Amino acid sequence: MRLLIAILALPLCAQPIYDILIRNGHVIDPANGRDARMDVVITGNKIVRVAENLPAAHAREVIDAGQFYVTPGLIDIHTHVDAQGAQLNVNPDHNCLPSGVTTAVDAGSSGHKNFEHFKRLVIDRSQTRVLAFLNIVGAGMYGAVEQDVFEMDPDAAAAMIRKYPGIIVGIKTAHFKPPGWDAVDRAVKAGTLANVPVMVDFHPMEKYPELVLERMRPGDIDTHFYGRLTPQLDANKKMQPYILAARKRGVLFDVGHGSGSFWFRIAVPAIQQGFLPDTISTDLHKSSIMLPRANMITTMSKFLNIGMTLQQVIERSTIRPAKAIRRSDIGTLSEGAIADVALIALDRGKFAYLDSGHGKLIGDRRLRCALTIRNGKVVWDEQGLSLTDVSRAGPYSNFK
Amino acid sequence: MWKLALFLIATFASAQNYDLLIKSGHVIDPANSIDARRDVAIKGNTIARVAPDIPTAEARKVIDASGLYVTPGLIDLHAHVYGYSGSIFPDDTALTTGTTTVVDAGGAGYRTFDDFKKTIIDRSRTRVLALINIAGGGMTGSASEDNVADMLPDKTAAVIKANRDTIVGIKCAHFSHPGWDAINRAIEAGRLAGVPVMIDDKIFTNAGRHSREKLLDRMRPGDLHTHVFNDRQLEVIDRFTGKLQPWILEARRRGVLFDLGHGGGSFLWPVAIAAAKQGFYPDTISTDLHSSSILIPQSDMPNCISKMMLLGMTLPDAIARSTVAPAKAISRYPELGTLSEGTLADIGLFALRDGVFAYKDAWQKKMLGTKKLECVATIRNGRLVFDTEGRGFPEWTTAGDYTVIP
Repeated sequence: MRLLIAILALPLCAQPIYDILIRNGHVIDPANGRDARMDVVITGNKIVRVAENLPAAHAREVIDAGQFYVTPGLIDIHTHVDAQGAQLNVNPDHNCLPSGVTTAVDAGSSGHKNFEHFKRLVIDRSQTRVLAFLNIVGAGMYGAVEQDVFEMDPDAAAAMIRKYPGIIVGIKTAHFKPPGWDAVDRAVKAGTLANVPVMVDFHPMEKYPELVLERMRPGDIDTHFYGRLTPQLDANKKMQPYILAARKRGVLFDVGHGSGSFWFRIAVPAIQQGFLPDTISTDLHKSSIMLPRANMITTMSKFLNIGMTLQQVIERSTIRPAKAIRRSDIGTLSEGAIADVALIALDRGKFAYLDSGHGKLIGDRRLRCALTIRNGKVVWDEQGLSLTDVSRAGPYSNFK
Repeated sequence: MWKLALFLIATFASAQNYDLLIKSGHVIDPANSIDARRDVAIKGNTIARVAPDIPTAEARKVIDASGLYVTPGLIDLHAHVYGYSGSIFPDDTALTTGTTTVVDAGGAGYRTFDDFKKTIIDRSRTRVLALINIAGGGMTGSASEDNVADMLPDKTAAVIKANRDTIVGIKCAHFSHPGWDAINRAIEAGRLAGVPVMIDDKIFTNAGRHSREKLLDRMRPGDLHTHVFNDRQLEVIDRFTGKLQPWILEARRRGVLFDLGHGGGSFLWPVAIAAAKQGFYPDTISTDLHSSSILIPQSDMPNCISKMMLLGMTLPDAIARSTVAPAKAISRYPELGTLSEGTLADIGLFALRDGVFAYKDAWQKKMLGTKKLECVATIRNGRLVFDTEGRGFPEWTTAGDYTVIP
């Protein structure tokens, strides 16, 4: 009897106070197979419950998500960020959080010589979770030095990665012009030493099959997949068999939209043949955010309008990239996970999208991020869903 | 001979005289009193013609602006793109909001202006102008901003005179000591260089300075007070009676200008509502955009304009206070802030959306409205740099094996 009372009392005693209850949104959480109307509870900086019909009375703050999809905070695994706007890089918070992106992976801005500077200046100062692919070039992505093979030291790179596990999540090789495998091989060597994936931006054209079938390892990531420098389609716009073979052996294909690497005339036929990207990402920088509007939410909208389902798009923007960088603790709404959440609206109407060549696709749907929660805090709230109306604000006696 | 003449006539008749034609938009160009459907033709980087119907055959590239408002590129008189810890690189926030000119409000002082020019001004596609800080080290915290010994009117004026193309005035901000030292020195530098001063000043106990004296006795006609709707900076509304301070109107009559400077702390709905009810609006609309105002309050230019409209301002009036009024305040009129033929082609294309929108103030309280101004495209220096609806580009299915379409 006593035991029975104890059992009955347990749920009441254990009832936590919710900091934020995101109510009645359509939860899409591919990592946990969720795709239904549910409530999401945040306490502190953690997701504590995801279930139907949770009591609003227990919440300090209720956000009505009836009109929105509720997804894990998005993960953009190909960005170029710098809080001060160095070179082509952009401020992560201003350009990621309004897109629902809570994790931005910088794709090789810094190498082992300047990563710690990058960490102090950008990673440590951003609200966005900034992770990094370390450039195999010691001095990073800063022009002529990228062609210098002697700047590519696998041991030094691997040592830096081991020093910051989970923050440096991989190696990047990019922009190497000479023929030959120097850059790729050294990047892969560093990746093997440190046990992390390599993101490859290298375009050997006729030798591309060797790159994806022999040089890259399963789990390595080929980015800029729908660009003009990747021989993914034959003259009849059919997928090349070596791409399919590479996927079968575990090579991942990433979007990396950018200002040069996403073309409807390539992406549409590839996707129509069923070749979806493994990960959706932006290659966010000063130029790509302008005409092609390659921020995350617009890039996702493009794939939606090409014909992917919303679930496919969300999966490739959350748990798939998380797994690609071996951080499956993020990109989910699992109970106990850090509370990174996006509320996404699906607008219907007539919308136009430009690709890297400024070709236009007219579509009938648009994704828009209405609200972003990062580490349990509302950091973007376009529609004021979490804010009090001025008519009920009372006197403005205290600052904020 | 007449054959040649005919050939020439035929050539001219079909000639593409213009590089870019903005077709069928509703032009709001307050400086030229235009508020009507007009076409705007651009040649090179210059506005060549504004007329009711310019044939599309005369242009190499046409942007269909039907349903959109076409305005001079907006001028944000209070931006932070250098020095200040929350400053942001201008292009990704300005050009995406129809803002083609930003005026950095005091990030650099006379010691740091050269670095500002080299690292930001010369590398931006946005036109970046500057109000130079009277504090020699710029807006880098109290060690610089309270250091009266380094507020040197003659050195500041000398840097202004050497950089008249980019420095348009002086900023005096965040001075946390009692007395008039900072303001007096800023105004003295303004007098030496013949430029206006923008003041950002806090009310605090024992400051030894009162807004009334500042506005009526210290500031000159043409000087600006920013953060006008923040009652901790300038008590526009008497906090006990709710009435507009009489000396605010007196200051306006003398020619002191009031700037919005929304920012992360300086736009409060109760103050703005009370002021608007009594007919008091800012002379210039500006953002004070920085890392704490960009995300939750979203104080970008189109949002600030939408907020002013929610307070009762008409769209043409709000555009005037975002284009020609700031241009005049910094003596850049008539070369900036208009769509006059012969001026540089800096243009914004905007949609006025219907719906329910939340407008958030600096205290993160919202007011709901039913109209929202949204930038659809931006032309800077004659080039289409931003185009969310692809109005200037063909559908990919019709473009063949296209490379980058200009």
